[in-house]
Amino acid sequence: MTNDLRFTALKKTPFHSRTSLASRTNKYYNWNGFTVPTEYSTTELEYTAARNGTSVMDLTPMCKYMIKGSDANRFVDYLVTRDLSQMEDNTVAYIIWCNEDGKVMDDGTIFKFSDSKFMLCCAVKIYNWLHDSGEGFNVTFEDATDTTAALAIQGPTSCSTLKNFGADELELLKPFGMKEFHINGYEVLISRTGFTGDLGYELWTDPANAENMWDSIMEAGKELKIRPFGMNALEMTRIEAGFIQTNTDFMAAEDTLRPVRMRSPYEIGMGWMVHLNKESYFVGKQALKKEKEKGNSERCLVGLDIDGDKPAVGSVIYNEKKEDIGIVTAAMWSPTMKRNVALASLRRPYGIKIKENIFAEIYHPEELEYKKIWAKCKIVKRQFFSPERRNKVPADLYE
Amino acid sequence: MSDNYDVIVIGAGHNGLVCANILAKKNRKVLICEARENCGGLVEESITNFVPQIPLSVSSSLGGLPVKYKAKSTIALSESGQHIQLVGNQHIDHKVISGYSTKDADRYIEFHDKMSSFSKALGSFMMASPPRIMNNTFSDYFKLFKLGMNVRMLGKKKFNEFARMIGLNIADELEDNFENTLLQGLIAHDAVLGSNLGPRSPGSLINLLYRMATHDNSIFGGIYEIDGGSKAFVDTLLDMSNKNKVEIKTSSSVKRCITENDKAVGVELHNGEKIYAKKIISNADPRSTYFSLLGTENLDTDVKRRIKHHRSKGKVAKLSLSLNKLPEFINCNKEDLESRMVIAPSIDYIEETFNPSKFDKLSMEPILEMKLKNSEQSNPVLDIQVQYASYGAKEGWDKIKDNYIDAVVKLISKYAPDIESCIETQAIVTPDDIEKDFHVTGGHWHHGEIQIDQLFMLRPIPGASQYRTHLDGLYMCGAGTHPGGGLTGIPGKNAAQVILEDS
Repeated sequence: MTNDLRFTALKKTPFHSRTSLASRTNKYYNWNGFTVPTEYSTTELEYTAARNGTSVMDLTPMCKYMIKGSDANRFVDYLVTRDLSQMEDNTVAYIIWCNEDGKVMDDGTIFKFSDSKFMLCCAVKIYNWLHDSGEGFNVTFEDATDTTAALAIQGPTSCSTLKNFGADELELLKPFGMKEFHINGYEVLISRTGFTGDLGYELWTDPANAENMWDSIMEAGKELKIRPFGMNALEMTRIEAGFIQTNTDFMAAEDTLRPVRMRSPYEIGMGWMVHLNKESYFVGKQALKKEKEKGNSERCLVGLDIDGDKPAVGSVIYNEKKEDIGIVTAAMWSPTMKRNVALASLRRPYGIKIKENIFAEIYHPEELEYKKIWAKCKIVKRQFFSPERRNKVPADLYE
Repeated sequence: MSDNYDVIVIGAGHNGLVCANILAKKNRKVLICEARENCGGLVEESITNFVPQIPLSVSSSLGGLPVKYKAKSTIALSESGQHIQLVGNQHIDHKVISGYSTKDADRYIEFHDKMSSFSKALGSFMMASPPRIMNNTFSDYFKLFKLGMNVRMLGKKKFNEFARMIGLNIADELEDNFENTLLQGLIAHDAVLGSNLGPRSPGSLINLLYRMATHDNSIFGGIYEIDGGSKAFVDTLLDMSNKNKVEIKTSSSVKRCITENDKAVGVELHNGEKIYAKKIISNADPRSTYFSLLGTENLDTDVKRRIKHHRSKGKVAKLSLSLNKLPEFINCNKEDLESRMVIAPSIDYIEETFNPSKFDKLSMEPILEMKLKNSEQSNPVLDIQVQYASYGAKEGWDKIKDNYIDAVVKLISKYAPDIESCIETQAIVTPDDIEKDFHVTGGHWHHGEIQIDQLFMLRPIPGASQYRTHLDGLYMCGAGTHPGGGLTGIPGKNAAQVILEDS
């Protein structure tokens, strides 16, 4: 009998033979058209590995674009809000980019190989946007999502694991640095970047090497508490690190149906990345300049430390008069910090000028009944978790 | 750095000259940089044929414009000699049409009244600067509200009719009303003239309304020839510039706009000279203004997209035939030859001509609008606008030019059998030539299609209406802005007003 369910199957990443073998729960989800594990065994266990050993995550579905050409540096500087004109070769930078209204489209990382070669990694597909932005620049674009296999190796023992794997002198690589290695007969690009807020690396190689790389790294980390981890555990670590996620903490400007839902960098705590005084023009500059001059940003994204131990997932935030002043975008009980933390988008002046008397209304499910909790919140730095080892050079090594 | 000038106008087209003179009259020190040797831009004997009158609002802003016009009637030529001649006067036209069909004649009055009232409703809007939709200010919304009110005030029945017609094609409306195919062809010709639309293309009806709004709100009235030709018109503006102490630098092509702190502060010429001013006004087409003067690296991606998608492919070529004697047009007397003569025998004929142009190809049976010059002298000239002569024709203009001219002459010989023996010399200016010689992207008369998505506050692109560009201090005053080309001077006048408001 022919298959009547006519839909296009999700793609498998080059690591699929290994990730599927490692998965006990068979829980997968659709990330950018690929099927990848949500969790392998239990989220708590995977989270613990990330904070105490080495965690391995298949990053291949992330959008990756190669930007090449004599104007590549000028173009990248034009595309993003940050001043990248002085960026050094073999470094990585965290970036955001905006549309003409100065509203954030996405965040991501940019890898600089040379003035004429960059790689852009991000969550939302932007090939079309790159193309149209490239008008007038001597640049070419290549979608490298399917042609680059990527792994995130994160956690306190990650450096040791990768050294065992064959990355010599990796401990000397600075945060946001990157370096080419020749291991097991193939090229691997290793960057000291990640989404967990801890010591960690990301590895980029040709898909043909993927399985060998996975196997070798698992072997190398055997004594270093290595464990694959899925999206659920990553979500926990990134909230602790205070990293924002597109379409969770803010809506990608080009995807919103309602223009009022678009957010400027100032409204999601990314104002520090807007370099209005950079020499050349960048997309959205005019609008951002106006917003800065007028000071008419409407929202802000803050970190909350919430009383009690019940996570404030999806909670509405109130002032003392019980007026709705915002919403929690991500929340968790942090096992490492032993704190009840959340990221929240608030209506200014709350969160900027008014930081007192802020409450979260938490609905905590307890066996088919909701317990309604009125919890006091404290506005704190968004970066809840930032251990010293994260930026240490040389990085910590373990045996 | 000092501001040498208050204003620099880039391009001495008629809108640039109008704008410069109005500003100079308000004691601004104005410099015009013109890339070509001559001023006037597309107001040129080799381009223009018939024009509407400069509106009173423009000439009064200039303190009067001593230009004389000769009113023209229109003849739709028929191979059988059954021509229709219309003058724009309802009673006379009614009588003429009733010679062919009394039904058509009565319908014509009705049709004309209806169209005229719609064109008047748009009219007040045509003269003023349009609201800026991406601005979100009260006055902009109020302007939009006023236009809505103007149309609503026509009454419920007419309002519904207006709403029905706004996106309609002209062919449907004409076939509903008239039975004479020649009359249908003539009106359809005027609706599509200068545009990229065929009579059956949606939106071709609003083109006609637009044309009427600049032609005294009538279909066949308000069509003129400038006494003394285009040169007289340009000379008048130049005399005025002289009087108002407007400086004009010819053969000075501007390379780019100089910016400082995200503001336009001057221009750099191709010879390297830099000139500074408080405000810069571009009479160039939108694409040149944005991509060359402003520079792609200074534009937001969304703006680049809009400019890239801005439609400005020219569709009209002008053929000039120098004659040694007057040709004999079948069933036309000497006075008739003074009219605007149109060869567009039916809607289907026009549509057939239009078809290949959709694919950037040429039809060898084009539609023509003709003007006979110097008919009293020994060397008359037949000036012909050839519609659907595509910009960037796939056949290659260099290769096909001669064949194309022959085709046009052959077509005319059906109406004037002796035309070939009268021709001394012939010269054609194609949209490609206009682009090259007059620096107009696409060689489009109006610097951009007159279509509903490029009109009013969407002209030339959303966010750039009201004559301001995306760069502070840089303005536009050319035909690419509201309300478009057609030798009205309104864009130039409105731009000057906006600039005066801003300073």
